Amino acid sequence: MTHHPPALAVRLLRWRLPPEWQDFILGDLEEEFRLRADTSPAAARRWFWRQAIRCAAAPPKPNNATRPFHLVDRPGDPFMRAILSDIRHALRVFIRTPSYALAVAAVLALGIGANTAIFSIVNAVLLRPLPFEQPDRLVRVFHVPPQTTFPGMETFPLSPANFLDYQRESSSFEAMAAYNFRQLTLTGTGNAEALRVAVVGPDFFRIVRTQPTLGRTFVAEEYDPARAKVVVISEGFWRSHLGAAPDTVGRTLTFDGQTYTVVGVMPKRFSMNAWGATMVPMWAPLAWTDKDRTVRENHNYQGIARLKPGVDLAQAKSELQVISKRLEQAYPAENAGWGGTAIPLQELIVGDIRRSLLMLLAAVALVLLIACANVGNLILARSMNRRKEIAIRAVLGAGRRRVFQHLLVESLVLSIAGGAAGLLLAQIVISGGASLVANQVPRAEEASVDVRVLLFVLAASILTGILAGLVPALRAGRTDLNDTLKEGGRSDASGAGSLTRRALIVAEVALSLMLLMGAGVMIRSLQALRHVDAGFNPRSVLKMDLNLPDARYKEPAQRRAFYDALMDRLGALPRVQSAGWVDTLPVTGGGSVQPLVIEGRAELNPREQPTVSVRVASAGYMKTMEIPMLRGRDFRSGDEHALLVSASAAKLLWGDTDPVGRRATLPLISRTRTIEVVGVVGDVKEQLAEKAPPTVYYYMRDLPFGDASVALRTSADPESVARAAVAAVHAMDAQLPVQAVHSMDEVIEETLVNERFRALLLEAFAAAALMLASVGIYSVLSYLVRGRRREIGIRTALGARTSDVLRLVLLEGLKPALLGIAIGTAGALLAAGVLDKLVFGVKASDPLTLAVVAGALLLVSIAASLLPAWRATKLDPLTILRDS
Amino acid sequence: MWFKSRSAALGDFEQLVLLGVLRLDDEAYGAAIRQEIHARSGRDVSINAVYTTLDRLESKGLLRSWVGEPTAQRGGRRRKFYALKPAGTAALRHAYHALQSMAAGLEGRLNAK
Repeated sequence: MTHHPPALAVRLLRWRLPPEWQDFILGDLEEEFRLRADTSPAAARRWFWRQAIRCAAAPPKPNNATRPFHLVDRPGDPFMRAILSDIRHALRVFIRTPSYALAVAAVLALGIGANTAIFSIVNAVLLRPLPFEQPDRLVRVFHVPPQTTFPGMETFPLSPANFLDYQRESSSFEAMAAYNFRQLTLTGTGNAEALRVAVVGPDFFRIVRTQPTLGRTFVAEEYDPARAKVVVISEGFWRSHLGAAPDTVGRTLTFDGQTYTVVGVMPKRFSMNAWGATMVPMWAPLAWTDKDRTVRENHNYQGIARLKPGVDLAQAKSELQVISKRLEQAYPAENAGWGGTAIPLQELIVGDIRRSLLMLLAAVALVLLIACANVGNLILARSMNRRKEIAIRAVLGAGRRRVFQHLLVESLVLSIAGGAAGLLLAQIVISGGASLVANQVPRAEEASVDVRVLLFVLAASILTGILAGLVPALRAGRTDLNDTLKEGGRSDASGAGSLTRRALIVAEVALSLMLLMGAGVMIRSLQALRHVDAGFNPRSVLKMDLNLPDARYKEPAQRRAFYDALMDRLGALPRVQSAGWVDTLPVTGGGSVQPLVIEGRAELNPREQPTVSVRVASAGYMKTMEIPMLRGRDFRSGDEHALLVSASAAKLLWGDTDPVGRRATLPLISRTRTIEVVGVVGDVKEQLAEKAPPTVYYYMRDLPFGDASVALRTSADPESVARAAVAAVHAMDAQLPVQAVHSMDEVIEETLVNERFRALLLEAFAAAALMLASVGIYSVLSYLVRGRRREIGIRTALGARTSDVLRLVLLEGLKPALLGIAIGTAGALLAAGVLDKLVFGVKASDPLTLAVVAGALLLVSIAASLLPAWRATKLDPLTILRDS
Repeated sequence: MWFKSRSAALGDFEQLVLLGVLRLDDEAYGAAIRQEIHARSGRDVSINAVYTTLDRLESKGLLRSWVGEPTAQRGGRRRKFYALKPAGTAALRHAYHALQSMAAGLEGRLNAK
């Protein structure tokens, strides 16, 4: 078999070798390569590359006859030598004028640093694969609920029986596992502590392909309810609670009074904030009883699966649909209208944030562009001052290309220095800021400087250097020697140089306007969200989460008694006006959605049976949250079972008739119990940006579960009551963990983190842009005024008044600014399509915001022009005319 | 310059290349010289260093060169062959004698470790 030398190396040689040497050297290398390839092709390729690189670095010179005399017998390659000498020269220049070099490098460092910080987040979130083997094969399995009764909902958790059918009948997946979450109270290690535990089905660890660092995961027998008292713990929990003891496996932990054995410790990388199933302190086996396995209409489980090799997502989806169709026919009462689907895990994690991040990356790139324009301006100003130097170089034989290269190398040296400083800056921002955004952006805590980020910095620096240096370098190359030398180096603002400068102002103003518009719209959207009427009054409300352990509160009546007594106690605290509780507070996410059947009507199949959000609430809850009573009465503590329906639920279920006094069943809770509707209350939003879902509140005498979110309406700052409230809980049960004690305002702010994060960054970018643009306008205008001193002097001498001069210079600055505003407006309107999906309650092309932003930019332009204009009026015509 | 100077002394690597050309007779071309130097002196030099030196020696008038026919094992490329001119042989002889006389009587110490 014939071996061929590496094509890329051959191409490198062709590029670098003088033509008259190519045949001999390439031939020699290929000949020896073939000899070597007979023994070891790999070694031969390495050898060839080494030779090629050595040749390319210092190729033989062209023949003497064709060599210009001044290059004869100087070592090295002329191109490299020129570049090196340019770099040396640039460094010398910068040492001589450090303020210029520092200013340019600082502007670029800010621009590149901000870009690098954002890119490193993009890198961690969008580009870096999930820390599992072949993460692109992992999919989450969901139900698709009937759109007639769950309008707008695209995915829904699985029911055990349906999951088992999917698992059994599908062939697209290597394995499929169900999981969900359970709250367990850890005792025996100091304070009682409520832990959220992931309960995972068989194959879960096989699907994610992660091995424990210590011990093992669960064995088949441990998925039996009788033997499921084992846990695998996270690395974090192992360190915080068990002191990272090497003999952890086999130790026991007490949850709700029951003993669990630790069988394994998962590695640190497995605890990924972005996916709920991994961000828990521990995992327990999902042990379904035979009865659990038959539940088909209660959808409480998440599904994770790994696609078989060679099976694509579309195949898997269509297979789940086919199985769902079959299940619909087999179990119409439970499954009519319920489909199935699979969504890649990565897509679910990144989903919403992708658009945000890419928008931010685009915004920060605009900042860098503005910085480029500014730096281009500075370089231009300098190259004008150095026109004489450049002209002399040209006279001494430096071609246009050579001068161009020289100036470009200068700007590249600066931009690379700026890039290095920017990288340092980004590193600081990342290490300080990553944890800040970690709650808002999935996987942001993983942001770090890796090879991809380094390459990004390098590319950004080089691109920036070229962008900023290109225009000045091109212009300098075109300098007319004769004129320049004749003028004796006098700088003059007339001609094309000032045109270039004005164009840079236009660009800066236009880009700034787009950024300001983005920031403005984000701020307005945030304002709109903050002032959404959610249907309850979040001011002066304190909330906390409780979970009564089953072991100590076995009987429903015990739980009822506890909460009733607690409400009395809390209601009697000073500065507390009322107390109430609910199973899931609004805007916190989650909560149950169930079918509701009106008395006297048959239960329809799921496609037709209306569903409502069901909240189990206490008597004081409506009053505490200030949810308005529209009709009927509130719950009373004497009630056995009672319903309150929200206005939209009343409309959905009873139309225009008054629901008060009517009765209905909640079949998922009990098919036999009919409950009376005692009143109608106002609608409450679950998510600020969305419509309020139809909701019923259910008061039940005997509580089937022990967790509740308690709300207190206070007459003072809610935080000031927190300590007393927690103490009141502990006075009743010292062992009970009290979690998430916050004011309701905080809870709402928490839901806005994403919007806040975007608005904050855009504000920062817009501020930077505004600053850069005003500095740009100022410096260009100052330069122009200097160039037109004579003209202004003559005008003044001929009787122009101060106001005339002022107007002259102001207009000089405002014309390009106005053009920039016009172009920026067009750009902002074009970009509005992207932004529209990220804002709430305001159009991304909102004319009011646009007007404010344009006005602000105009004011800044005027302000930046004023100082140079004022200076122009102070020019003394006599001095100027005498000087020239 | 108005007087003809004596030819400059040969550099170390120039000597190796010239010896390679001498040794290879009619078959002296880049790759062969490179391999000869590698095999005998242990110096794994790059092909461009060999050609740069050959070119320089030719321009000093110590070597002459001719171009051979294309061959298949070189991907259809030609070889450039070199041979010593009398001046080259003389320069090499001069260098060799210089080394030999400088080393005379020191053989024992030079061979010792």
